[in-house]
Amino acid sequence: MSVYRKLDAKSNQLLDKIREHLEKLNEKIDVMIELQKHGQREIPENLPEALDVMTLLSLPDHLRKTAVTLCKLDKATADEIANQTKRARAVESGYLNQLVVMGYLKKERQGRKAYFYVDQEA
Amino acid sequence: MGKIIAIHSYKGGTGKTSLAANLAATYARRGKKVCLMDLDFRAPSLHAIFNKQNLDYWLNDYLNGVCEIDKVLVDVTKDHGNGGKLVVALANPTTEAIRDMTAKDRKWEMKALGRLLSLRSSLLNGGGYDYIIFDTSPGLQYSSINAIVTADVALVVTSLDASDINGSRRMTTELYDLFEKKTGILINKVIAELLSSKEEEKKFNKYIKEVHSLPVLASIPCFCEVLRAAGNFIFSEERPEHPFTETIENLATKVEQF
Repeated sequence: MSVYRKLDAKSNQLLDKIREHLEKLNEKIDVMIELQKHGQREIPENLPEALDVMTLLSLPDHLRKTAVTLCKLDKATADEIANQTKRARAVESGYLNQLVVMGYLKKERQGRKAYFYVDQEA
Repeated sequence: MGKIIAIHSYKGGTGKTSLAANLAATYARRGKKVCLMDLDFRAPSLHAIFNKQNLDYWLNDYLNGVCEIDKVLVDVTKDHGNGGKLVVALANPTTEAIRDMTAKDRKWEMKALGRLLSLRSSLLNGGGYDYIIFDTSPGLQYSSINAIVTADVALVVTSLDASDINGSRRMTTELYDLFEKKTGILINKVIAELLSSKEEEKKFNKYIKEVHSLPVLASIPCFCEVLRAAGNFIFSEERPEHPFTETIENLATKVEQF
């Protein structure tokens, strides 16, 4: 029995690892899609310094909603943002990654979750 | 869960500070726990109403990250509580502090927004406050927009001056709408004739509706007695029987349910 239990635990660990990698892959694809959509050349060479209110004002409506919501939550996953904005998780994930690519947000992994936040120390 | 209210206007001298103080005092009279904050760092005013000059810490220090918010709060319940609790967070009125605040860069303003946003957890959730009221700088500037982004409800005070009406309208459509902020209009210093009868009032309200698509939460008549008080005391506290106080009471109820 204990052999089976060990095997079971092993395969669960393996599954978790695979899931984690798949999610990372998903996010990379998200970023790639964003880059393709907007053209890599459009990304400013001098990355913006800060996500202040004036910058928030200059963002397109759909990104502003995501950014303001994140400001309020401080640090959040795409899921938590989607809960507030009532938009689909995948949509928010796309917008968040776009804001990361634009240099306004930072992204950090904790286990299987990806947290987004405004980088105050940059 | 409490509420953050930002009181703002396009032009100066519309009566933001007076309305903010009266609104705060009204909620305190209703037994609420209220925090009134002076976010007008370019022209601090609340310290004069509450007669506080030499404090160890100001709201400036909290935003600068020098101290936490509890160091800044001044409890004025003894003189202004009337059954509730009223604390104030004041802006440093010294010229040096004003100069310092006007020279801040974007990164500082971003951090300041973070500090303002975290008041929600420290004061509303943690401190059990029912209301935080922001008295802001007029016009479009960082500290005010930070306050608006942080608030649940924004109240825009305007006089009937054409430049004020036009500016407020542009500001609400071009700024407030972008942040999808729940916004109400307060028309202050309305000349008495315009509200003298039900008929006149109807005509007036129709005119305002044509100008502003936003809800008008109060049309406050211009009272000489209020002007005569010259901001030396909180009018609604001293004159509970006055029609001005009644208007503020109605406004407080509307904002509560807004």
